[in-house]
Amino acid sequence: MSDALFALQNPTEEHHLLRQMVRGFVTEAVEPQADEHDKTGELNRGLLKRCAELGLCGVTVPSEWGGAGLDVCASVLVHHELAKSDPGFTLAYLTHAVLFTNNFFHAANDEQRRRLLAPVLAGERIGAMGMTEPGVGTDVLGMKTTARRLGDEYVLDGQKALITNAPDADIFLVYARMADGSRADRITTFVVERGAPGLSTPPKTRKMGMRASTLGEIVMEGCRIPRANLVGEEGTGLVHMMRNLEIERLTLAAISLGIADRCMDIMVRYASERQAFGKPISEFGQIQRYIAESYAKTEAARALIYTVARDCGPERRNRIGTDAAKLFAAPVAKEVADNAMQVLGGWGYCEEFKVERFLRDAKLIELGGGTLEAHQKNLTKDLVRSAGPAT
Amino acid sequence: MKILVPLKRVADPDNANKVKIPADGSRIETTGLEWKPNPFDEYALEAALRLTEDGKAPKVRAGEVVVVTFGPAETDTTLRAALATGADRAIRVECKDEELDGLVVARALAKLVETEKPDLVLLGKQAVDGDTNQVGQILAELLDWPMATFAATIREEAGGLLVGREVDGGVYSVRVKFPAVVTGDLRIVNAQSVYSLKTDKAFKYADGVRFAALPAIMQARKKPLLVKKLAELAAGAPVARYLKYEAPPQRKAGIKVKDVDELVSRLKNEAKVL
Ligand SMILES: Cc1cc2nc3c(=O)[nH]c(=O)nc-3n(C[C@H](O)[C@H](O)[C@H](O)COP(=O)(O)OP(=O)(O)OC[C@H]3O[C@@H](n4cnc5c(N)ncnc54)[C@H](O)[C@@H]3O)c2cc1C
Repeated sequence: MSDALFALQNPTEEHHLLRQMVRGFVTEAVEPQADEHDKTGELNRGLLKRCAELGLCGVTVPSEWGGAGLDVCASVLVHHELAKSDPGFTLAYLTHAVLFTNNFFHAANDEQRRRLLAPVLAGERIGAMGMTEPGVGTDVLGMKTTARRLGDEYVLDGQKALITNAPDADIFLVYARMADGSRADRITTFVVERGAPGLSTPPKTRKMGMRASTLGEIVMEGCRIPRANLVGEEGTGLVHMMRNLEIERLTLAAISLGIADRCMDIMVRYASERQAFGKPISEFGQIQRYIAESYAKTEAARALIYTVARDCGPERRNRIGTDAAKLFAAPVAKEVADNAMQVLGGWGYCEEFKVERFLRDAKLIELGGGTLEAHQKNLTKDLVRSAGPAT
Repeated sequence: MKILVPLKRVADPDNANKVKIPADGSRIETTGLEWKPNPFDEYALEAALRLTEDGKAPKVRAGEVVVVTFGPAETDTTLRAALATGADRAIRVECKDEELDGLVVARALAKLVETEKPDLVLLGKQAVDGDTNQVGQILAELLDWPMATFAATIREEAGGLLVGREVDGGVYSVRVKFPAVVTGDLRIVNAQSVYSLKTDKAFKYADGVRFAALPAIMQARKKPLLVKKLAELAAGAPVARYLKYEAPPQRKAGIKVKDVDELVSRLKNEAKVL
């Protein structure tokens, strides 16, 4: 690796040491359990707890609140390294550490942080984030879940669907629309804790890939939560949501990069060893095309993701960069995994060589956290908005 | 107990097949390979940390581990990784890689021992780049200290250590009194390999080395890191010069034999091993 590429991915010594630590942890603890959890479809809570013990659940939380106080780039590199072995687990980790923890931290007040943050950072309570509903995804502003004030409580009604960690989570960040009051049209953020009256999570939703993370619904029927669990103010939910979507897109793109890196590694090793017609298959032009194009695209994704990561943070909004990074990286990972399968021939289709798992996992990043079409729409909107007049 | 642990960075041993020797044999090229801590040194550090704590409460230090490395400023990363893992202090001996060999390093360490006065110098048995396996032994000789090499187990005792080394068909135990030099082998990081006097004998560590938790990584810069000059520690020491490097000969392809008779005949007449 060139010095420039190393520095892009490890801007400080702390990033470098963090990456070394995560790599060691991945080799020892993540890789050995990945196939099994893909099969059982169960979240490895113990592994998430170990991530927490290593300080990985609070990468972006300031040190005075028990986190590491690092930047988006640090969060990206953790997801990148974890996903090289287990994208499914990485999605569950992302949901806990980014969708819940990072978002909650930035939106919550000090009383809420004191009351709710420590067990989440310690991996004792698992977080989830509920935005999507059975009837609304891309069109999030059309959400139907409502909240209304009732004395010292809020009452939530509605259903969230396609929610990562929902079956396992102990604490949920939920978006709802106010059913009364002056900001009836506006979206508001709430913390809902497992055990709240009227809250239930039905059995998990089965899915194609990312099986080491669980997916499910959050059902709220007259669900009562204390007023103290209102996050921010009534009507400020959209800001929380949009701000968090940027780091979410980048860390999801980092999962794609981890998948692409791993599939590159698998296909290059295989192509140099596998013989056909008396020579290694890496000497066939068609195989070279799979390998070379995969490499070029993976490197382009790496450069884009880490460049945008440096230019994004709670105080540095970067919607267009993060949309571009995920829009580019997600199909790259899917293509590289597919190319790897092609290079491995029939063996690529079999579980032993792992690329079938990575291919199933790769597809999710084209959907979750915004579909490709949503990124295309937003990105173009941002460009058009800032465009000058046509000569 | 105070322990000195020397650390070396090596070119990524997992990609050792990418090491190249140019046609003129002038050097070993490791371009493109990341620096990593020498694995045996990481094991030595883990053993040193275990010896200076109660395994049940590893956050409370019960002794001091001082790590030392030799090299230019960028080798501070190796030291800071060790500080993040739990070492208490670090020393870097400023020099270029070409100024070093096993004897120079051992001499400089012996000089450092005069000021640091550790009870124990705990080293990896060898670095996985040069694989010379000599620094610990030379150091013990220079210091005239008792030595135990290839440690697979270490038990702290009053005023010394009981060190076990795996040999064919058993374990060979050596009792050393402080101050001493010990070099560690792979098994030193097994769950029940190392016990300080404080650690309960029923306690089991997790196998392997501990990871540097992220908060400790963030704190590592706050721990002391002292820089010394090689010239102050090993003045005028001669250094080995390497005249030429050569890759080992490529292995030739094997052959298939018809039957056992042919095998025996070829082993006897061609390979001449029977
Ligand atoms: C495994 C998994 C985990 C997930 N985890 C979470 C989670 O933790 N929390 C959470 O809140 N959500 C989560 N989601 C939901 C995810 O964010 C949504 O699936 C996504 O936003 C798309 O919404 P939708 O599925 O309702 O599709 P729809 O919005 O119904 O889209 C259907 C199709 O129409 C297209 N489309 C929609 N609008 C437009 C438009 N304006 N222009 C052009 N095309 C358009 C879409 O691109 C897509 O092709 C998860 C989803 C999956 C699959």
